[in-house]
Amino acid sequence: MITPFAPTELRPGEDVAERFLAEAAAVSATVETAGPDALGAAIVARLREMNAQRVTLTADLDDARHPLFLTLTNADFDVFRYENIADDREAVGALDANVTGCVSAIAATGSIVTGGLAGRAGALIAPNHICVVESTRLVSGLAEFLRGPARAEGISSLSLQSGPSRTADIEKTLVLGVHGPCAVHVILLDGELLEVR
Amino acid sequence: MTAAADRAALFPTCLGDLITPEVVQHAETALRACGFIVDGVRTGTCCGQPAFNSGFHPQARRVARRTMRALADTDGPIVVPSGSCAAMMRRQWRELFAGDRDAALARGVGVRVIELTAALAPRAEKLDAMHLRWPGRVGYHDSCHMLRELGLHAEPRRVLASVQDLELVPVPSSDRCCGFGGTFSIRYPDVSVAMADSKLDDADAAHLDALVSADPGCIMHLAGRHARTGAGPRLVHIATLLVEAGLR
Amino acid sequence: MSTTERPDPLTTSTFEERAAISLAKPFLRQAIPKATDHTVAALRERFANHDYGALREQGRQIRTAAIADLDTHLKEFEAQLRENGVHVHFAADAREARDTIRKIIKTTGGTRVVKMKSMASEEIDLNPALEADGLTVTETDLGEYVVQLDGDRPSHIIAPIIHKTRAEVHESLSKVAGYALPEDPPSLTAFARATLRDAFLEADVGISGVNFGVAETGTICLVSNEGNGRMSTSLPRVHIALMGIERIVPKLDDLAILLPLLSGAGTGQLITTYVSLIKGPRREGEPDGPEEMHLVLLDNGRRALLGTPYQEALHCIRCGACQNVCPVYRQVGGHAYGWVYGGPIGAVLTPLFRGQEDGGELSHATTLCGACDDICPVKIPLHDLLSSLRHDRVTSGNASRTERIAATVWSYAWSHPLTYRLSARVARVGVDLLGRRRAAPPWAAPIERWSRGRALPRPARRPWHRRG
Repeated sequence: MITPFAPTELRPGEDVAERFLAEAAAVSATVETAGPDALGAAIVARLREMNAQRVTLTADLDDARHPLFLTLTNADFDVFRYENIADDREAVGALDANVTGCVSAIAATGSIVTGGLAGRAGALIAPNHICVVESTRLVSGLAEFLRGPARAEGISSLSLQSGPSRTADIEKTLVLGVHGPCAVHVILLDGELLEVR
Repeated sequence: MTAAADRAALFPTCLGDLITPEVVQHAETALRACGFIVDGVRTGTCCGQPAFNSGFHPQARRVARRTMRALADTDGPIVVPSGSCAAMMRRQWRELFAGDRDAALARGVGVRVIELTAALAPRAEKLDAMHLRWPGRVGYHDSCHMLRELGLHAEPRRVLASVQDLELVPVPSSDRCCGFGGTFSIRYPDVSVAMADSKLDDADAAHLDALVSADPGCIMHLAGRHARTGAGPRLVHIATLLVEAGLR
Repeated sequence: MSTTERPDPLTTSTFEERAAISLAKPFLRQAIPKATDHTVAALRERFANHDYGALREQGRQIRTAAIADLDTHLKEFEAQLRENGVHVHFAADAREARDTIRKIIKTTGGTRVVKMKSMASEEIDLNPALEADGLTVTETDLGEYVVQLDGDRPSHIIAPIIHKTRAEVHESLSKVAGYALPEDPPSLTAFARATLRDAFLEADVGISGVNFGVAETGTICLVSNEGNGRMSTSLPRVHIALMGIERIVPKLDDLAILLPLLSGAGTGQLITTYVSLIKGPRREGEPDGPEEMHLVLLDNGRRALLGTPYQEALHCIRCGACQNVCPVYRQVGGHAYGWVYGGPIGAVLTPLFRGQEDGGELSHATTLCGACDDICPVKIPLHDLLSSLRHDRVTSGNASRTERIAATVWSYAWSHPLTYRLSARVARVGVDLLGRRRAAPPWAAPIERWSRGRALPRPARRPWHRRG
């Protein structure tokens, strides 16, 4: 079917969550769905797979940040609140993974959007990024995002991220992981951050 | 159909007239076979495209005016066996003569211009009935202005479909410019020739027996390169192919 | 300043000479068609189930509205930016833009600069000026980094090192490493990542281009795939963005059309990996981001195009699709065009920005095949613009004397059937005579140029007008 609208919009009748997970996977992010009770364990498992040791949590994780901080600390990771080390270039440069929430997530493009409390480099600086997406944050496509969440007041910068960073500069060979993360893991939270214990 | 409806003027174009008169004759044969009463225009010269595309508008007008006036004396569609000349006459004359004393004439003559295969395709059933036969693999080269300015894509293919045993092979680069480009071909001969090579190599990869086009300019350029290097198949004007297939 | 300017190929060589260099490079001849065909196929695939024509039309309308009322939008943009805490500067030309940026950096006291790929910064030849000030400038896009290491220039709007082999990249990066790196692209990329990471972490100033500037909200939109755009605008204390004034769009919603057109036409992607929407410096409560942000708005010949037949050239969103589909670019690559922008849009912008005298020749560096018109995501009539530029070249007195004389003599001869016929006979004799000579006389230059690689057609003994 030829549609009159941009490929960055949902087709009528498409399931928002399903498309989001499919598009995120299509741009080489790994995806999973977890309930609030399982979130901590899911993050721990993924960080171990990533061989991460030094991990930050950004403030946009909201009410979930404190319980997650405890969970990760108990699992023997070196955990930092991002804003506490953001000005320390050495510490920032030594990070293995960032765990963030998001301002919004766009189904049709598989994008997560960070900014504000997570900062600009908070989702980007480490080789691994885990993003927790509350299902209520999902919007259908780029147009809905631009009409709504993109207009949030008081935020200096928003960043749409679709999968790990990439280049094809050398003989058109696709390589994942240039300046941004080499691996992006998206956890679609079936619930809200404040339910995380 | 009345006889008047079947009248057509045939403008040979300069290349057709001076370099490949047989192609014009073949076009004439094809038109007759499709039921046209053909009136050959012998007092025109050129559509003015070489000067126009080089930015020399007064010079282009000088030449085009002569041709336009010769064509004004004819009736019915003006058939042109060259896609790019047809585009020049149909589309660019308007612009070239805007504000000129012959502006109305340019529009009036321009709208009557029709590229050869566009004239033949609606009557291709007549060609179908003639049991034309040309066994072999053929690629079609879409000339740029015929495809993009006149929008003729299906028409030449419909004409070729009337030939039995002809296998029309899709060549991926069929719509890529061959590098002729009028004065481009002598302004930047090395680039122009490199473009021809790429085209001929693609034709070779498709194992063609002939590369057919409806544009004598492209054919002259590609055939000239083919003659020099042997790359690619023979280059054949679509009207000539019909005659080779047995059209009388 | 002139000491810092690099040699200008446009004024010191011809398109033909530059093209000859490219035509002699086997890798380039192989790599460019491969890469560009791949990208064009990806574009078609991306929009296969969408009405690309309708989307292009929407894109065209947005760009038309943006440029038609440029000054109003710029005013709104500037006001919004200032409200967002951004310092706004206007630069009339390249020198003013360079000097503005130099001054900003000087004031901040910074010495280490990281740059995100920006065609506008190429246009103003920024790096040599900054280096002359003793600054350390690091290009952070992988391709641009290699270009910088080699003292080269980017040859494609999107893929700056499309002309380089991996062996060449390997050699350049190994020099930086001080040992032979593995040759595979992942290893080379990993090395660049590690090296450039230090540059990011140490940088005082980040310089970026701007893909779109949204008037309504004062937002700067940047796209990248590597993440260097975000890094350059996140870590350094100062962010300077350089934007051609025509990159403005009226509304934030306009990006819902322009972003998929830019990424789809540029690389075939649904959306680029990163899209940053920046509204100013770091705010209260945000953990990072630059404390100071500047936007330099560059005119450099753009405003002069308003109200001229060339206004639509300002609609360009720099996706590179016209380069990818251009049969001339495919043979010669971007350097042959002699300035910053290659391909059809380069053949249009170069004469417009650099003037007919320097750049006029480029309007002929195309066969007017129109493939670019068909693919342009904002429907710029490149064919018509090129054709008009050729006309302007003649009327501005920049066509050669030989060309002018030839066109005029030809036009008189061919405006009458008798002289037209006679000319064919003369040509026939001429071709026969030439066949016997080794070197062509000067009057036969066009014939000699034709027959360099092609058999010469011989006018028929009996032309069609004497037949049947």
